[in-house]
Amino acid sequence: MGFARAQSILRARWSLPSAQTVVGGAVAAVAAVLVLYPIYFLFQAALNVGDPEAKPPTDYGFDNFAGLARYSEILLNTVGVSLAATVLALLFGFVTAWILSRTNVPGRHVLEQLMAIPYYVTPLLGAFAWSLLGAPESGFVNQVWRALGGDGYLIDIATPWGIAWVMALFEGSVAFVMIGAVMKSMDPALEEASQIIGAGRLRTMLRITLPLVAPGVLGAAIFVFAEMLGSFSAALVLGLPSRFYVVTTAMYQLVSQYPPRIPLAAAMGVSLFAVMFAMLFVYRRIVTRRSYVTITGKAFRPRVILRFVLLAVCILYIGLSVALPLLTLAYASVQKIAVAFPAAANWTLDNYRTATTMNAVRSALANSLVLGFATASIGVVLMGLLSWIIYRSRVPGSGIIEYIVMFPQAVPRLVFAFGMMWAWLIFPIPIYGTLWLLLIAYLTVFLPLGIRTISGVMLQVDRSLEESAQMCGAPWAYRIRTVTMPLLRPGLMAAWLLLFIASVRELGASILLMGPNAKVITPAIVESWFASSAELTAAMALIQTLVVALAMTLFVVLTRRATQLAHE
Amino acid sequence: MSEIRKAGATRRAVLKAGAAFAAMPLAGKAFAQPAKAPTKVLDFHTNADMAKVEQEGQLIFYCHENEAGTAAIMEGFGKDFPKIKTGYVRAQTGALYNKIVSERAAGRFDVDVIQLSDLAPAFDFQKKGGYEVYASPEAGGYAPEHLSDPAGAFFWTGVSFAGIAYSKAKVKPEEAPKTWTDLLDPRWRNAMSCKIPSSGIQFVQWYMFRKLYGPDYWKEFAKQRPRAFDSRVQLFDRLAKGDDKVCAIAEYAAYVLYKEKGAEVAFVAPADGLPATPLLVGMVSRAPHPEAAKLFVDWAMSARGQAFYQDNPNLVYGSLRKDAAPMRTGERLRDFKLLSPADYADYTASRDLFTKEWNAMLGL
Repeated sequence: MGFARAQSILRARWSLPSAQTVVGGAVAAVAAVLVLYPIYFLFQAALNVGDPEAKPPTDYGFDNFAGLARYSEILLNTVGVSLAATVLALLFGFVTAWILSRTNVPGRHVLEQLMAIPYYVTPLLGAFAWSLLGAPESGFVNQVWRALGGDGYLIDIATPWGIAWVMALFEGSVAFVMIGAVMKSMDPALEEASQIIGAGRLRTMLRITLPLVAPGVLGAAIFVFAEMLGSFSAALVLGLPSRFYVVTTAMYQLVSQYPPRIPLAAAMGVSLFAVMFAMLFVYRRIVTRRSYVTITGKAFRPRVILRFVLLAVCILYIGLSVALPLLTLAYASVQKIAVAFPAAANWTLDNYRTATTMNAVRSALANSLVLGFATASIGVVLMGLLSWIIYRSRVPGSGIIEYIVMFPQAVPRLVFAFGMMWAWLIFPIPIYGTLWLLLIAYLTVFLPLGIRTISGVMLQVDRSLEESAQMCGAPWAYRIRTVTMPLLRPGLMAAWLLLFIASVRELGASILLMGPNAKVITPAIVESWFASSAELTAAMALIQTLVVALAMTLFVVLTRRATQLAHE
Repeated sequence: MSEIRKAGATRRAVLKAGAAFAAMPLAGKAFAQPAKAPTKVLDFHTNADMAKVEQEGQLIFYCHENEAGTAAIMEGFGKDFPKIKTGYVRAQTGALYNKIVSERAAGRFDVDVIQLSDLAPAFDFQKKGGYEVYASPEAGGYAPEHLSDPAGAFFWTGVSFAGIAYSKAKVKPEEAPKTWTDLLDPRWRNAMSCKIPSSGIQFVQWYMFRKLYGPDYWKEFAKQRPRAFDSRVQLFDRLAKGDDKVCAIAEYAAYVLYKEKGAEVAFVAPADGLPATPLLVGMVSRAPHPEAAKLFVDWAMSARGQAFYQDNPNLVYGSLRKDAAPMRTGERLRDFKLLSPADYADYTASRDLFTKEWNAMLGL
């Protein structure tokens, strides 16, 4: 009796689950524990109306939510800034993704690498640099303006529009990566066919290109909007000086003070669930309504159009988001007190000397690189499997799984981290205060990011390709390895890089969870900004940026080499 | 010539009542003090077992100071004891205290020594048994009122005090505020900075001015729409660049640092006095590296450690050690009229009210 026949008899008699159900179930269970375990503590805190110090709570109710009415201005600030920043970010991301994947703009490959830099430079550094540039009194731009005879100030970055601008500059690269992965796989023949029958370029863009990349654009829109809702660093640097609060900065103040107002902070965070649920519902309705298949085995041929104008657009975006902030930080880091026109006595290297004595440089760098590698590597596998479960499998409850894994996106990481802090503090295995806890935190909070990136590409892979392999007798695992994975490779590589960068730049979760021997970069820079001079913080930030840049360059070189070897 | 006001019997009564608190879940086991003579290490004495210190090889320090200051303390200790690997967590006093209490409530004891800038959380921590009672051989260098009661839980490693500072680029000397009530002049609206409610010295200022000028002082102050920040370095950074015109809680230590950097800032010591807060160091109970913790406490208390705290440009503490040298500016604490609470029970009890009022003032 053959093995296959024996297997089918066993299944018939005892209804054994298939391999995909077992693996799918296990992965879904891991994701559910990662997300729901801290969420439980978060809700517990939000519903706690008794003594805040009593654990477990003695009294539950909705008074904390009723108290949110007092903070309506903060909630409106949050939504307003998030919307403005999302629109700007999508504009930057879509335009640059279209230029770099649908045209033969010169230096495309170099520009693609440069486009990732705004994301890893982090909104914190961007906000910091732009505050040095655009503060109404001390900003370099305004100092130059006054030196040229201008009155008052030319720009004021410490405003809601300033926050939206900075967030959009850096989240634009997230939108670029997500939309770009989708656009790369599109066959231009579809657009050319549109033009042949008489449609102009704009009409083709709107009627052909845009609808086909809709999953990627929608995914980017939802993700970017949720990121903006949870925005912390830009609002902290640019909003606090003008007493402009968003939910996250208000929560940080409430959690940090003594005694802390945890229930109110938790209620603020939980209130954002409703917004994300609505967004996710809309997204699923759109995605499941039509097919977005474009990967059919045909070659990719970019189009020739206004190459050097488009090159200038890309360079402008990279200049504003990367070059200008980094140059500003470098300029400030070598001064005692950063001004636009420093006297000779103002130059110094003391900031770099001091920076090397600090935890943030000594240990945080190494920790962040190790964590980044681990998060990205484990994350791609975990999130790839989850994407497959949600969008491709017939595992029962895949819709519920999607909502669960999107929970972290709905909650500002600071508050999610609070739930995690309590959840893992009482866990019998002592991982609190270690890098292990940060790894768990990162894998949890980045679930939406990874799944959105990978699923955006996965939706474009026609099921018929996998089904063909299945009809030829290939088992599930073999199909995944030989058919699905190669087709998803661009998306998986984009996801790996995105997860690595997200891990290195992570702030909201880390700032509450890092211990004395588990410091990581970005929260260490925030601590420095709070508690050191702008110039010292600039020096620290540049040292860290340089080291991470080297690590990323190494990754790109190695993956390119591996790809070349695979083709040989 | 003035001195720090002391609360005397009232504070001692409170502390004695607190110290008699029964064993709490957070309490550590009382540590049996070895019956041996202190060891001389470098130029100070310690009861730490130096062999065990080397075995432990590590010290974890929680501190309220700014990043550069905390790093400087660890660097100073580390230079004297290079075999001890130091690690620290830095946060403003309120956030730091939240953190350690949460950790201990969950059974995590990762901290060896803690430094706070406010007596209120220190008293609370002492009541909860959070401090290890350690009799340092260097304690004799301090007056009893600069030690915990009973002695051994924590000591006053220094004092930080604050006046008014202004940007010389934005404010003419004749227009500058000279008294605390001058800060209520509408010309300083939207042009003034202060600290966040987690700050110990901000709490002291709020409390003392309620006593001096009545509760309406802060209602008027709120109309000035001040901006609040975490650290004194941030406050002076902004002042030096002209982003703010006046700082309402300008710590002298930061003024000294920025003056040495060449910043165009001026310091004003109002005649009514300067709010002052003690900086409190204590060994934490159930410390993972108890011998290293004892060594650090002894080092910090010693003339050597105090000189470091006073001279380091990122610290510039005023020392309360009886034989302390002047600060790096040549001045001593007694050259300033310092204000601190007389009734620490009342002071501690008003914490919640301060936090609520301060948040409301800042728009939270």
